[in-house]
Amino acid sequence: MQFFKRLVDLLTLGSDRPVRRLIAYYAFLGAIAFILYQFVPASHRLFAVLPGDQLGATPTILQDGLGDLVTGAKSAISSADASSSVSTGSSPTEFAIVTLFSFLGVLALMLPVSWVYMSVGKDRRHNQALAQTLILLPLVVAGVVLIVQNSLALAFCLAGVVAAVRFRTTLSDTRETVFIFLAIAVGFAAGVQVMTVAAVLSILFNVTLLFIWRYDFGRNVLDPSPAAQWTEPLSELAKKNGAEQVPDRDLLLALTPKKVDVLAERFNRINKIIGSNGSKPRYNAVATIRTSKVTEAQRKVENALDDATKRWRLDEVVTNTGKPSTIHYLVRTRKSVGRDGLITAIRANAAGVVDDIEVELGDAAVKEREKAGA
Amino acid sequence: MRRRLGWAVLLLAAAGQSACAPGDADASESNDVLESRAARYTAALAAPDSGSTEPIARWMLPPVLSEISGLTLTRDGRLLSHGDETAQISEIDFKRGVIVKHFLVGDKPLTDDFEGIARVDDRLFLMTSAGRLYEFTEGENKAQVAYTRHDADLTKECELEGIAYDSVTTSFLLPCKVMNAAELKGRLVIFRWHVDSLSTPPTSKLSVPLTSVIGSEAWDDFAASDITVDPKTGNYVLVSAQQKGLIVITPSGEPVSARTLHDMHNQVEGVAITSDGVLILSDEIGTTKPAALTMYRWH
Repeated sequence: MQFFKRLVDLLTLGSDRPVRRLIAYYAFLGAIAFILYQFVPASHRLFAVLPGDQLGATPTILQDGLGDLVTGAKSAISSADASSSVSTGSSPTEFAIVTLFSFLGVLALMLPVSWVYMSVGKDRRHNQALAQTLILLPLVVAGVVLIVQNSLALAFCLAGVVAAVRFRTTLSDTRETVFIFLAIAVGFAAGVQVMTVAAVLSILFNVTLLFIWRYDFGRNVLDPSPAAQWTEPLSELAKKNGAEQVPDRDLLLALTPKKVDVLAERFNRINKIIGSNGSKPRYNAVATIRTSKVTEAQRKVENALDDATKRWRLDEVVTNTGKPSTIHYLVRTRKSVGRDGLITAIRANAAGVVDDIEVELGDAAVKEREKAGA
Repeated sequence: MRRRLGWAVLLLAAAGQSACAPGDADASESNDVLESRAARYTAALAAPDSGSTEPIARWMLPPVLSEISGLTLTRDGRLLSHGDETAQISEIDFKRGVIVKHFLVGDKPLTDDFEGIARVDDRLFLMTSAGRLYEFTEGENKAQVAYTRHDADLTKECELEGIAYDSVTTSFLLPCKVMNAAELKGRLVIFRWHVDSLSTPPTSKLSVPLTSVIGSEAWDDFAASDITVDPKTGNYVLVSAQQKGLIVITPSGEPVSARTLHDMHNQVEGVAITSDGVLILSDEIGTTKPAALTMYRWH
C-alpha cells in the first residue's frame, strides 16, 4: 500500500486532490496494461472487447482424439500435438498466466475503489471489514466464475454450496451495498476475462462517486450542510460567554469515544481553516450572520467586510424554512478592528436586515491579540 | 521492495513472452504434425474399403466449439460448422484437424437456438429450432456478415434440429425432432421448403412410419438431430443424438439402412458427407466426453 501511495505521490507531485490522485493511479495501471499487451501475447485475451476478438485464435490446431485406434506415427504426432497446443492458445501455462493477470488486475482495480470508499464514508468513518472485503470479494467471485464458466452442473453445485453458507451482514449505508455490487461486477468481469469492462466500471464508479461526494449531490435543503454541521459545536461552546469555551473535563469524559472523535475532527477542520499554532493563517475568524433577507444582508455585510477586514470569503449559505437563514464568512481580521469592532461595523452597515451576528476568533487571532496586549 | 517488484514484473513478462510466443521451432513442428495428419487421412482413404466402422480421424474441439451443432460443406469441399447459441460460423480443416477461421452473422452477433446449417451454391443458411432461416454469405476470418431472415414457422407441427439442401428437388430438407402435432407422432417427417419460395412456409413433406425406417434397431423413436444428402446416391442420411443412431432413406422414403453409432459419440448434432466418401459427424460436449469431429469412411 505504501508503495502505491509513494507512486501516486510521485505522479501527482504530492497533490492531495483525490481526482488527480485517482487519474495518476489509473494512468499508471494503463501503462502497465499497455506493456503487458505489447510483450505478453497471452494477455490479449484479457483486453478482448469486440465480438470478433472473442472468437478464439485462428488457426487452431485441434487435439487428435483417436488415441489407440490409429497406429503408425501416432506417438510422434502426440508429442508434437502437445507442443503445438502451446501455439493454439490453450496451454496450461498460458491459462495460468492469463488467470494470474486477471486476478492481479482485479486487485489493482479494486484498490482505488477501497480508497474512495474510505474517503467518502459518512462522517469520514468507514467499516474496515468492508474495505478489506472490497479487495477480497471480487477475487473470490472471479475464481468462482472461472470455475463455473460453461458448466451448468458446476453452477448448480455452487448454488448448493453457497446456500449452505449464510451471509447476514447489515450495511449501515446504502452506498456500501453499491460498493459490494461493484466488487461482484468487477469479479464477474475478471472471471470471464473481460478486464476492459472491469476497468471502465472501476474508473467510472470512482470518478462519479467522488463528484457526488464533492458536490454533496442529493442533499435535502432542509438538512444542515456539512459547513453548518462543523460550525454548530463551536457555536454551542462559544456562545455562553462570547469566547471559546473549552468543555470541562467532566463533559469530555461524559462523551462517547465516537462523539469525541467527531468533535475532535470538527475542531481540526476549524483549526485548519482559521489557524492553529505557529503558522499565520489566511483567515482567523468565522463570522456567522442570521437573517431573513439573505440577498440584501449578503450585499450589505460584504460591504462592511470589505472595509473592516483584511480579507474575507463566503463559506456557506444555509437557507432554512420557518426560521432565519445563516450565512458563514471566513474572515481575516484587521489588528485595528477587534471582534466587537467587526460586529459593530457589520451592524452599522446592515442594520435592519440582519437578526444576529456572531464572530468566532480562532486560536491564532487570540494569540495575536494577547501578544499585542502584552 | 520496489526493486523486487520490478524484477517480479520483468520475470512474469518474460515467462509470458516465452510461453505464449511460438518460436520457429514450434511452427516447424506444427507443420510436421499437419503434414503427417494429411498423409494419414489420404492413406486411409486410398486403402481398400474393408467395411470397417472405426473412424479414420477424430479431432477434439476447443471451448469455442464445445456446443457445435450443424455441418455443411462448401462448393470446394471445405467444412463449415456453427455454435448452438451464437451465429458463429467456423471453418474446420477436417483432414488435418485445424480450425481455419471463424466469422459472425450479424453486426451484433445473432443469438438464437441454432440447429443446422446448409449451403445453396454460395448462399449459406442457418436454421433455428423454430424454423427461422438466416441467409448470408461466407465471410473472412473474424468478419461480421449481413443476413436476411426467412421464417417457416413450423412450431405447430414439430421442433426442428437439422437442415440440408437437396439439389434434385431444389428444396431444404427439415427433419422433425420432436413432433408437436398428434398426427405426426410415430412417423419420420421431413419438411421440404423450396428455395425459391422462402417467403411462404413449407407445405410439402415426406412422412413415413418410423417402424419402416429403423430396421432391426430397438429404437422407440428417432429424434433426428441433423440430415444430409449423400452426394453419390442422393439418399437422405439422418442422425439422432438421442438414439445415437444413423438411418439412410431414399428421397421417396424407402428404408436403405439403419445402425447404431460408435460408443465414442456423446451427442451427435451434425452430419455431412464429402464427395470423396467421408462421413463427418460432430458431437457436442458432454459431462465425460469432449466436443469432437469424427470422420468415417462412408460405405
